[in-house]
Amino acid sequence: MTEIEQKRRPGKILGVLALLSVAAGLYFALIKAPPDAYQGEVQRIMYIHIPSILTAYLSFFIVFVGSCLYLWKRERRDDILAYAAAEIGVLFTALTIVEGSIWGKPTWGVWWTWDARLTLTALLLMIFVGYLMLRSLIEDPERAAVSGAVLGIIGFLDIPLIHMSVYWWRTLHQPPSILRPDKAPWDNVHPSMLIALAINFIAFLLLYFYLLSLRIRVGETEERIRTKTLEGAA
Amino acid sequence: MGPWGFVWLAYGIVWAAIVLYLVGLKSRMRKAHARLSQLKSKEGTDKHAT
Amino acid sequence: MRWTNIDREEKHGLPEPDRLLLWKDLLLELRRRESLLAMFFFGALLLFIFHFALDVRPEKAADMAPGLLWLAVVFCGTLGLMQLFQAERENRCLEALLLSPIDRAVIFVSKVFFNLILMVMLEIVIFPLFWVLFNLTAWDRLPMIFLYGLLGTVGFCVVGTLFSALTLGARGREILLPLLLLPMLIPVVLATIRGIEIVLQAGDFSEALPWLHLLIGFDVIFSTAGILVFEWIVEP
Repeated sequence: MTEIEQKRRPGKILGVLALLSVAAGLYFALIKAPPDAYQGEVQRIMYIHIPSILTAYLSFFIVFVGSCLYLWKRERRDDILAYAAAEIGVLFTALTIVEGSIWGKPTWGVWWTWDARLTLTALLLMIFVGYLMLRSLIEDPERAAVSGAVLGIIGFLDIPLIHMSVYWWRTLHQPPSILRPDKAPWDNVHPSMLIALAINFIAFLLLYFYLLSLRIRVGETEERIRTKTLEGAA
Repeated sequence: MGPWGFVWLAYGIVWAAIVLYLVGLKSRMRKAHARLSQLKSKEGTDKHAT
Repeated sequence: MRWTNIDREEKHGLPEPDRLLLWKDLLLELRRRESLLAMFFFGALLLFIFHFALDVRPEKAADMAPGLLWLAVVFCGTLGLMQLFQAERENRCLEALLLSPIDRAVIFVSKVFFNLILMVMLEIVIFPLFWVLFNLTAWDRLPMIFLYGLLGTVGFCVVGTLFSALTLGARGREILLPLLLLPMLIPVVLATIRGIEIVLQAGDFSEALPWLHLLIGFDVIFSTAGILVFEWIVEP
């Protein structure tokens, strides 16, 4: 087996595991789990919505860690990690918003409300789309990496503050609304619902790490290209 | 649109997006590898030349 | 105008660095008046446009006032931020500054203060103008409102200065800077507006207190983070 193929093996195993767990998750979410007593079939969207947002938060935490490490040690791989995690984080955050909106239409009757959760997720998306834009709009790769790292840290630090401010805005002296989106989406939790959620959560995690590993490899390869091009020019 | 309609819509969009991203990543990977081996072979011929 | 020598620290034979930097920036601004005038006029213009666009009736004026006021301040402030490092970019001043023995954090602090002074000057004009245009009366609550405004402005200046430096040399900076800045400032925007709202409506001040704490927390956290991080941003 060539060197490259050997390196790819754990990635491939991860991919297969991810695929299997996604399939299992789909089965449990769509077939095995019963419909919710109040929300009906639409509640099934929660089986991907909750793992989505949790994965997105995980991703942005990784951006934060990667950014800190990069500023500290200036090793390229930390920057590649941060960039990769930001890209995939943006993907999952956007998906979370779409899922939340689609769930909202039959549940609340509207595609969008300014409730705390949706607003927060939208803000999260904006901050990390900004990260991607900043990285792509700065010419010098070294400066782009450093600027990105700083933004990654500052952005992450702001998240709890944004959280607090948006939640207070939506709950302090606001008349109790008929929409209670902060209520947990189920009351009587059937065990197979919990199982479905757990399996889908694992599936999303595996899928996330698979995508992350792929994206990191892409980043590393592109980095090698950049170095070789510089060497060639020298 | 009935309740299942929303479910399919949500699941459909999510998995379509993930698959698209995956495909995009693989394509990017392929291009990068091609460029890398191109650079490597160029390096090889340069070395032979000098 | 003379700076006194009471607490000057002699650093490598230089007078206290950030006072000097600040004084340089202020002097430049006073002479050229680029940012300040633009901000004044834009702020006044925004207030007018808001009034037309939103058809602000007298009954609703007090409700909408804080939001509109702070929006005007934020948009004007963003204008000022664009110019913030302009002087340094010309004639390679930034590199010269960085080569000098001045601590990078000092450059950051002096820029923040400069920006803060500009914005406070803006607000001193805009707030009363606003009061008059929107027919507000609550004069006795003005100090409290200024407090919220000031704390909010500090938050704006700290993060704004950071991002202004961060986006130096990025393409499309005119769009990128607001795009990055505004989501980050949501806590400041919310806290300032809600705080002013509550004070204006003579509501229970304890309701406004959490917002005050949030503002103070935001200012402290990002001032600290800014001071720590700034040296990496401006590295040439």
